[in-house]
Amino acid sequence: MNKALFIISLQHELAMAIGNKLDLKAMLKVFLKVCFSRLNLTSAHIYVHCDHSGMPRKLAALESKNYQHLLSIPKNKIGQPWQQNSVLSNFAEQLNHAQQNISFRCKNDHFLFGFIIPDHGLLVFETHYALADEVQKALLPILQKLATSCYTSLVHDSLVKEVHSRQLIEEKVAYQAQHDGLTGLFNRQHINHLLTNAIEDAHSSKHIGTIIFIDLNRFKPINDAMGHTVGDKILLTLANRLHSLSSDHIDVGRFGGDEFIMVVKNLNFGYQDAISQLISQINELLAIPFVIDANSYKLSCSIGYALFPLQSSTVNNLIKFADIAMYEAKRAKSKQGKQYQPAMSEKIKRRLAYVDDMKRGLEHGDFKLYYQAQYNHYGDIIGAEALLRWQHPVHGMESPGVYIPIAEESDLILAIGQWVLEQACRDINKLEQLTLPESFKKIAINVSAKQLNQHDFQERVLHAIKQNNIPAERLALELTENLLVENIEDSIKLIASLKANAIDCSIDDFGTGYSSLTYLKRIPASVLKIDRSFVANIEQCNESAAIASMIISLGKTLKMNILAEGVETAEELNCLKVLGCYQYQGYYFSEPLPFDEFIQLLN
Amino acid sequence: MNTGLFTWHTHSDTLCDFKHGLTIAQNSGAKSLLVLTCSQNHYPEDKLSSLLSACPLTIFGGIYPMLTLQNTLLKQGALIIGFNETFDVTVFSQLHQLSNEDKLEDVITTTLEQKKNYCGHDNFLMFYDSLLNNIEDFIDCLFECLDHEINIAGGGAGSLDLIQRPCIFTNQGLHSNAALLVTLPSKLSTGVGHGWRIFQGPFLVSDAHGQTVQSLNYQPAQEVYCQAIESASEHRFNNDNFFDIAKNFPLGIEDINDNLIVREPISADNNHLQWLGNIPINSMVYLLESDTETLISSAEQAAITAFSTASEITSTSMIFDCISRVLYMEDKFEQELDVIAKHCPTPILFGVLSLGEIANSASGAICLLNKSTVISSW
Repeated sequence: MNKALFIISLQHELAMAIGNKLDLKAMLKVFLKVCFSRLNLTSAHIYVHCDHSGMPRKLAALESKNYQHLLSIPKNKIGQPWQQNSVLSNFAEQLNHAQQNISFRCKNDHFLFGFIIPDHGLLVFETHYALADEVQKALLPILQKLATSCYTSLVHDSLVKEVHSRQLIEEKVAYQAQHDGLTGLFNRQHINHLLTNAIEDAHSSKHIGTIIFIDLNRFKPINDAMGHTVGDKILLTLANRLHSLSSDHIDVGRFGGDEFIMVVKNLNFGYQDAISQLISQINELLAIPFVIDANSYKLSCSIGYALFPLQSSTVNNLIKFADIAMYEAKRAKSKQGKQYQPAMSEKIKRRLAYVDDMKRGLEHGDFKLYYQAQYNHYGDIIGAEALLRWQHPVHGMESPGVYIPIAEESDLILAIGQWVLEQACRDINKLEQLTLPESFKKIAINVSAKQLNQHDFQERVLHAIKQNNIPAERLALELTENLLVENIEDSIKLIASLKANAIDCSIDDFGTGYSSLTYLKRIPASVLKIDRSFVANIEQCNESAAIASMIISLGKTLKMNILAEGVETAEELNCLKVLGCYQYQGYYFSEPLPFDEFIQLLN
Repeated sequence: MNTGLFTWHTHSDTLCDFKHGLTIAQNSGAKSLLVLTCSQNHYPEDKLSSLLSACPLTIFGGIYPMLTLQNTLLKQGALIIGFNETFDVTVFSQLHQLSNEDKLEDVITTTLEQKKNYCGHDNFLMFYDSLLNNIEDFIDCLFECLDHEINIAGGGAGSLDLIQRPCIFTNQGLHSNAALLVTLPSKLSTGVGHGWRIFQGPFLVSDAHGQTVQSLNYQPAQEVYCQAIESASEHRFNNDNFFDIAKNFPLGIEDINDNLIVREPISADNNHLQWLGNIPINSMVYLLESDTETLISSAEQAAITAFSTASEITSTSMIFDCISRVLYMEDKFEQELDVIAKHCPTPILFGVLSLGEIANSASGAICLLNKSTVISSW
């Protein structure tokens, strides 16, 4: 009677020990511990069915009856994990094969009793006594319950994993929503959000804040010349450096491209000093060379900032103001950064109005092409450079030095460039109707960076030539050295392709850029134009003469013609001749002339 | 092998006399000292701690309600055993802070790694603070983590008033909430007996947590316990006599081989019963009873077992006998010591009257016992 009671009690106790934990291993350990103590076991072991990756699975879901050791009490046997115990391992294998309860008497008179946890695994008890049949039978319903609990744990486990992976994805999405993919800094959207909060805080705490706009100077040439991989590494390095400045009061973000932004909160009356100090720190971080793939790059930046709530309390305005201030700093080449001033906006308004004037000028035919003849050392006209002139309705004749940079900042330069191309082609067509001197070869037009970046630039040029029915060799393109360097690989391809279509290119303003001689060798240009800055007073300035001489010998080596710009005096001409330069352009020969006058000059 | 080298004891309860004994022990040529003192001594804790810390020899032991030497009971005083080996002593301190299995496992695993899993050491004595409420979790975890089977005997230190005070001795002084594991230089033989038999039951432990039983058969535990005793005996509980009656009726957890694991009641509070060891929830338990003769007989059987399995080179015998047996048998307890001494072949027989005993079960696991006699010999 008491034995029966004991078995019922045992069943009850074991049954109640099942399912107390949700994690499979923890749940089975609780059960195994109760078995161990209530059944006076010497050791106890559980194996579970697993898939090929070792994850516990229900047997029905598996192709084979794979199983793995999960846990043992005690953990080891004479210094070895139980998994390495051959007696136990062989027994477990037999048990798995048999898929029914088996027992085995060991050499030390201990017993092994094996039970099946239906569909989930194997249970092995080591005892110092023979486990009574009725106890073994009493375990069967318990093991069925254990199997159900195993399944619950597996389902729970997969749910936990799913929830965990969902959490990870949600965290990732949340992170991505707030952070820039390349640098890991806050992105523009999140910076807007942070700035909104910072503005509110500033109002409530009566503090001052600032938004600092940072733009790298001359980053594009590096990106273009060295590739985006290097550019990205530089941006990442810079981001890490800027991030070192972040704190409870300073958030750092990437606004886009090579633009970074900082939101600075909780400034007090000494805000000007604090901002200056921060800008100095930014410049110091920039001053450290960027060593990427064993190459060292030096970078600088332009910084603008606007104050909140002093200058505005809206996010868009503040960012716009800081951006405007940054552009002012860039124009002024200021390293100290510039605080936004309303006058800057006025300037921009004027600039926009000026752009509108240009648009109208283009529509009304106020732009004209003037031609400055180019000569050889015999005094023959060998060609001309087409130069743009604008008769402003109010200001009169505008200097190209004023309106070209403004046009370049907007897309208007594309419309102007296209007009120049077409007008030059029309003029060439007219010239073709005349009897031209034998020495006259071609008309050169200047090409801007934005034009060159047009994916169909070459088609546009060829189309203009075709439309005006002129020989392609009559047209030449002048590209500045800086423009070439900014996108060197594409430039080389384009120039080669144009050359294949009989259109020559010359490199303008040579000597003012930073072109690598390695690249120069690969540029299939026909003419190198010595910049006027080296020509002016060349006979008096040894440095200019030395540079000109270097350019001349370089051109000879690369089999390019050399043409000196801005020749204004006989002395300059003589000096250039002595140095070996035999093509010239400048007021000494002829000023830029309206087309009709240029025709007369030709005649 | 003659492991026992030196014995010194005193019936005096003064620290001065103890200090004298300790000095003699230090000069005896012994390398390790097992120091046992009675909880009724008047030893200032700080001074005792300083004495222990100042001792250049390895020290282990503790404060127990009473001690035994040969067949004599020491209700106060001290006992020092000197060994000519340097014993390895491991202290597991602040165990009460290891509130879950994972923390316990971390500490034990780390310690075992430091001790190289006690490789080559299979025999241990254990001294621990009896008021550690997670001592069973500790020994279970120790057994799980040890990578070889061990022989062990031990007993809980402390005092009969069940107020926790520092009661474990090491060279760092006095400790509470600590357990000591001492490696022995030769094979340990043990015999275990309790002499308790089923009186009432079974009862289902329907609600319990650790050492506290809230309900038996879904009724308040104290009510069920008291009613069961009152219905079958002449004992009647009142507000003051719970322990006086309960010491005669411990709880028994029956195992699959019909062995009883005895649990001693230590208090009743708010209809809950507190025991000196865990009572598993959902287990079936019995009320036990006994008589002096049976108890003494069980001790004699334990002695016969311990001494008959001991090897010839055994020289030291130590008893961990439950203090409740003294309280139960009163003057007749010395008869138990007599029967043990009668069978003892070693020149040195001593022991402690403990609050909880430690021994291996027949399966090899480490068990916390109550109201039992653990006789060890090495």
